[in-house]
Amino acid sequence: MTALLEIEGLCVAYGGLRALQDVSLSVAAGQFVTVVGPNGAGKSTLFKTISGVVRPTAGRIRFQGNDLLALSASRRAHLGIAHVPEGRQVFKTLTVRENLEMGAYPESGRAQWTRTLERIHTLFPVLAERATQLAGTLSGGEQQMVAIGRGLASAPKVLMLDEPSMGLAPAVADTIFERISQIHREDGVTILLVEQRAVEALELSDHGYVLETGQVVLDGPYETLLADDRVRRSYLGLSDA
Amino acid sequence: MRQGAAPRLRRDLIALAVLSAAYLAATLFVTNSYYQLILTLVPIWAVFGVGWNILSGYGGQLSFGHASFFGIGAYVTTLALVYWDLTPWLGIPLGMIVGGVAAILIGMPTFRLRGHYFALSMLAYPLAILYVLQYLGFQEVSLPMHRENPAAYLEFTDPRLYTVVAVGLLIAGIVACMLVENSRFGLALLAIRQNELAAEAAGLNSWLWKMRAITASGVIAAAAGGLYACVLLVVTPDSVFGMLVSAQAVVVTLFGGVAAVWGPVIGAAILVPLASTLNAELGNILPGIQGVVYGAAMIGIMLAAPEGLFWTVRDAVRQRRTPAAAPRPQPAPPSQVRAAPPPPATARPARLHADRPLLVVENLSRAFGGLRAVSQVSFSVNAGEILGIIGPNGAGKTTLFNLLNGVLSADEGRAELDGVSLRGRKVHQVARLGVGRTFQVVRAFPRLPLRDNVIVAAYGAGLSDAAAIAASEAALAKVGLSAQADLPAGQLTNKQLRLMELARALAGQPRLLLLDETLAGLGRDECEDVLDVLARLRDEGMTIVIIEHTMHAMMRIADRFVVLDHGRVLASGLPRQVVEDRSVIEAYLGKKWLAKQEA
Amino acid sequence: MGLEILIENVLNALAAGITIGCIYGLMCIGLGLIFGIMKVVNFAQGELLMLGMFASLYLVTGGGVLAFLGPFVGPFVGAILAGPIVFVGGALLHKALIARVSGLRTAGTLDEGHFGQLIVTLGISLILQNGGLILFGSTPLTVRTPLASRAFEIGPVYGDATVFLNKARLIACAVAIITAVGLWLLLEYTRLGKALRAAADNPTAATYMGIDVERAYRIAFGLGSGITAIAGGLMATYLSFSPFIGLDYVIIMYSGVVLGGMGSILGAFWGGLTVGFVQQCSALVLPPQLQNAAIFVVFLLIVMLRPQGLFGRSAERA
Repeated sequence: MTALLEIEGLCVAYGGLRALQDVSLSVAAGQFVTVVGPNGAGKSTLFKTISGVVRPTAGRIRFQGNDLLALSASRRAHLGIAHVPEGRQVFKTLTVRENLEMGAYPESGRAQWTRTLERIHTLFPVLAERATQLAGTLSGGEQQMVAIGRGLASAPKVLMLDEPSMGLAPAVADTIFERISQIHREDGVTILLVEQRAVEALELSDHGYVLETGQVVLDGPYETLLADDRVRRSYLGLSDA
Repeated sequence: MRQGAAPRLRRDLIALAVLSAAYLAATLFVTNSYYQLILTLVPIWAVFGVGWNILSGYGGQLSFGHASFFGIGAYVTTLALVYWDLTPWLGIPLGMIVGGVAAILIGMPTFRLRGHYFALSMLAYPLAILYVLQYLGFQEVSLPMHRENPAAYLEFTDPRLYTVVAVGLLIAGIVACMLVENSRFGLALLAIRQNELAAEAAGLNSWLWKMRAITASGVIAAAAGGLYACVLLVVTPDSVFGMLVSAQAVVVTLFGGVAAVWGPVIGAAILVPLASTLNAELGNILPGIQGVVYGAAMIGIMLAAPEGLFWTVRDAVRQRRTPAAAPRPQPAPPSQVRAAPPPPATARPARLHADRPLLVVENLSRAFGGLRAVSQVSFSVNAGEILGIIGPNGAGKTTLFNLLNGVLSADEGRAELDGVSLRGRKVHQVARLGVGRTFQVVRAFPRLPLRDNVIVAAYGAGLSDAAAIAASEAALAKVGLSAQADLPAGQLTNKQLRLMELARALAGQPRLLLLDETLAGLGRDECEDVLDVLARLRDEGMTIVIIEHTMHAMMRIADRFVVLDHGRVLASGLPRQVVEDRSVIEAYLGKKWLAKQEA
Repeated sequence: MGLEILIENVLNALAAGITIGCIYGLMCIGLGLIFGIMKVVNFAQGELLMLGMFASLYLVTGGGVLAFLGPFVGPFVGAILAGPIVFVGGALLHKALIARVSGLRTAGTLDEGHFGQLIVTLGISLILQNGGLILFGSTPLTVRTPLASRAFEIGPVYGDATVFLNKARLIACAVAIITAVGLWLLLEYTRLGKALRAAADNPTAATYMGIDVERAYRIAFGLGSGITAIAGGLMATYLSFSPFIGLDYVIIMYSGVVLGGMGSILGAFWGGLTVGFVQQCSALVLPPQLQNAAIFVVFLLIVMLRPQGLFGRSAERA
């Protein structure tokens, strides 16, 4: 399997704070990779570094062989990396439809726009219903759908999602996870998912990484991780116990 | 007096005396009348800047309309002379009083605004006054000359005497500013400027301090205006209320150095002669040259040295003096910091405080629109215990703290500290009741020494100078930072900053501490050090409620847990129990995990 | 007889209020783009208005537009052409100076960079005002069209009371409305317009979408400058101006934008219209110098009592 996204030895520091230390991971084309870990583990920092909003102090990121760190943040989206950010970050003062159109800003999105839009509406019918509503007035779950739809709109090679379940009621989060899984299965989109909810995330994926205080402490296929009690202990702070 | 102020004050006063003497000596040699005028105007504009600096430099409330006070001083002095034959020696003080009253009247409504709205609104006042004066026909008013006894009317045949008076006024203004800077007034203003919320949480009534600042500022600005009128012998609405006048206060202080006593002096000394000379030489072909110079100076300084020349030069000089890569002073090794090792977990005596709840929270709720951020939360905290508030991201923990210490108001429910209700009180009032709070993001005053960062809360608690110094020393000792007390906060490590926040909260002599993610971003060892401090505080009787994500740390230190999820209390009790509680595991790891484990 | 005069005065004030109000509305849209949407505090907006007036003046007299199109149409075309000129000027200003104190660089800081923006734009304002004084002198100038002294007469509507619709102002009003609608179409329906709105709404998310936020801000600033400049050019067709005229209008613009509600272009227009309307009607009772003072009082009342404005769109969950 060819590696689509390769990260090697990534280090990120904010002031004196070491957010990521020597993190390496890789995502192959067509894979569903999950990164889990408790709060403060550095998951979001990892994502922001891949998107270009945060600069690393050391390490390399390669996308399809290109050095990603040489590109500015806004250029990276045009390569085919779609980012569904933490906290949704929808454009509150734009309508649902306009949000999706913004997702299709890169050339790749505009090329097949009609078909892509149809697909988004099939996956998330509520977005068609509320096409002209301001995104800021939607519920948390609906905003998450807008954010995911926005990510799909650019017909990306990799869809990255940052804690899509955060702040959502469990039932709503479950629906979101189902859709993500559907997107992976039916459209063959490569997925990199970062989540706090370990089980839901790991179950859907091919391969998982567990982050704790900025380092990868565990990685492997999902069955291995699920069976490993270290995951629970890591979350509940019992690692030293 | 602030700690360490006396030597600084003495040094500054000596410098002031020397500089004034030198300046006055120089004026003796100047005979050209135009340069004599400039020598007089420099201290006048410097005084104006000093006044502005108090409100907008130290206080951080950017005012674009200080011409209001300047112009009031000028007009009161002039009109009193014209209509009542009142000598300016009395007229200027009268102008200062009116300026002060105007400052209060302007401050009361305008301080409801923040930031750019405040700046814009302050602009509106002098412009409105300008329009009204033009309407009333006060086009130009000349100050009448007095042949006999001119000195009694602040008129001098020898122009150099005007310079003497101006320098005298500047000395008075600078001394006033020094007194402000070295007293709790100055520190309170700096704290409010850096982070008003943290200042309020430390107990400072920010509205009151801002009112004091604008009054002082207005009085000083009016004095400058009054003297200006006497020097120029004619006032027009535009020359004292105009945009350029307001801009002058801003630019001389910004250029020279905000929140520094010498800032306006440096700025005036450089810019006023520059602009005036250019105006004199080129004013005919380039009539607006003064404004262009000021505008360019403003832009230049903002982009190149945003804090002004004084600070930039001082930092550069300091850096060159200390050798390159001076290592940051290491914190004292842990064994010296810890007074006594905390008792091992098993030996910790069971604390029976069930009969003395210090904080009682019942059905506390707060919604934002349809979102219930905190919903029917009830718990109590006993005196002398550490309660840990945990829960997944977005559970409402920080919102709960904001409700308790007055940042947000609750929709319903009650919260009582030792029987006294916390609801409906402003932040600084809650602080005064004995609640100390730290925030997720540390707010330090980087240029100020550590001890000043801490003592703010002691002032907020209303302690006298001596008691405040004692309280902050004690607080620093408790967290183990006494050795670093004189370091500028900007040089502290992350752990030291966290401890600083803790010390600041302690200096207010609280009965309850609300700590929000105090351990965030700390490595294992650093965590241990901070936890030791917390344990010691608890052993000495402090009551602590702490929000944390670092679970292993919480397990070690907390006596009890309360778990929040989606704004509600999910579970509460002893740590071991809570962590094994099904609903808690589900909240963190999800239903499916539990199902798998139980399968 | 007295009643007729009163009615005539009131009706004329209303007519003037609406026509001038529309021009103020356009002026406020310019600021609305910069302050309301980009959240950049621009103290120099009044000077951009002034630049529009001078640009129009030089296009018409110096650039020969007048000769080409004649004094009736020339000034209006000059006003419209002033737009692109000041657009470029505004974009350059942004790139050189304002970008250093706004945008992604300052997003998320405690005051969103407003302190820096206030100082830098105050400096720009001073330079433009006084630079203008140097370049253009202080004698009041105008691009007055003969139409300014002609009016359509409506009436008599009541006794002898007649409503006079000043032709120049009427045409200026029409141009203002057309320009405002044009901008609205740009923002609502074009890809560029949506990208601008997205960048202003959430610069981080916009970056994720592949939008170059710095460039978007530059274009938005340029647009805001150009639009206000067009309004200036239109005003120049019926009043005289000097390099310091901006100061008179800065408070009016902020009043309009705040009244109309931040973040809403439409709101800025209505806000400007309302403020212009109030100003013209206040002419019934107040002498000219006090009219502007009255606007300041209105501004203070608005920011203190209703800072969210009257017409702002609420994008928060109800």
